[in-house]
Amino acid sequence: MATLNLTARPHTRPTDVVVRVLVVGLTLATAAIHASLGGLLFLVNAVAYATFAVAMVVPGPLARVRWLVRLALLGFTAATIGGWVLFGARFSLAYLDKGIELGLIAAIAFEIWRLDGGPVGIVRQAHRLVARLVGWRVAEGRR
Amino acid sequence: MNRFVRGGAALLLIGSLLAACSPAGSAAPPPSAPTGGAVVTAQGNKFDRTELAIPAGRPFQLLFENREGAPHNVRIYDDGVDQPLFVGEIFGGPGSRTYDVPAIPAGTHRFKCDVHPDMTGTVTAS
Repeated sequence: MATLNLTARPHTRPTDVVVRVLVVGLTLATAAIHASLGGLLFLVNAVAYATFAVAMVVPGPLARVRWLVRLALLGFTAATIGGWVLFGARFSLAYLDKGIELGLIAAIAFEIWRLDGGPVGIVRQAHRLVARLVGWRVAEGRR
Repeated sequence: MNRFVRGGAALLLIGSLLAACSPAGSAAPPPSAPTGGAVVTAQGNKFDRTELAIPAGRPFQLLFENREGAPHNVRIYDDGVDQPLFVGEIFGGPGSRTYDVPAIPAGTHRFKCDVHPDMTGTVTAS
């Protein structure tokens, strides 16, 4: 019986390590900048980024759905940039932070392309996850 | 063991973020306003006043003191009007700027910080 493997690539390569360090570093950098701005909204944003940074490296069950963490971080970063474009103040630190966030998006996109097989791979893994969850619920219902 | 190390690192990170966000600076009295001008101070992500009296119809100087690391500024504007009456430079503290504000028409206006839109107050030009 085939087992479900949600990790696209079992072996780590040096490039993967470099990109992962870049993703975590950029995530922590934007977290620190948001934390330095003060105010509840920026604090929540900083804590969210810090949580993502931890979720990107923590081993265990989360490692099996790292593609989902990547996707969530990508969406969160894009939403943060969008929020700034619509409502944010324009000053030097903000421009620096947006540069960091654009770099972060590029690094995550590279990871998605390299480790998850791009958008098609993401859709496949999402499909597998949904199928697994539905199967689990069906099995629960039969008990 | 590794679990404890990782947990400790996560707590340290979150603690550092919280510390970075805590209000800084002293509770010293606000500086004196420039002659014929006005003064406002920012500390703890708040302005020291919610009402600001300024002269109407002539340029004046507004001394803005930012007493914390977080960046702040002062914008004077009218609700529902796109063009602001004045936008001061955003800067991180502790430090101060003396803004040269152009003539503001008599009446009641609003002021706020562009970085923290919940920092607001009323400007009375008379």
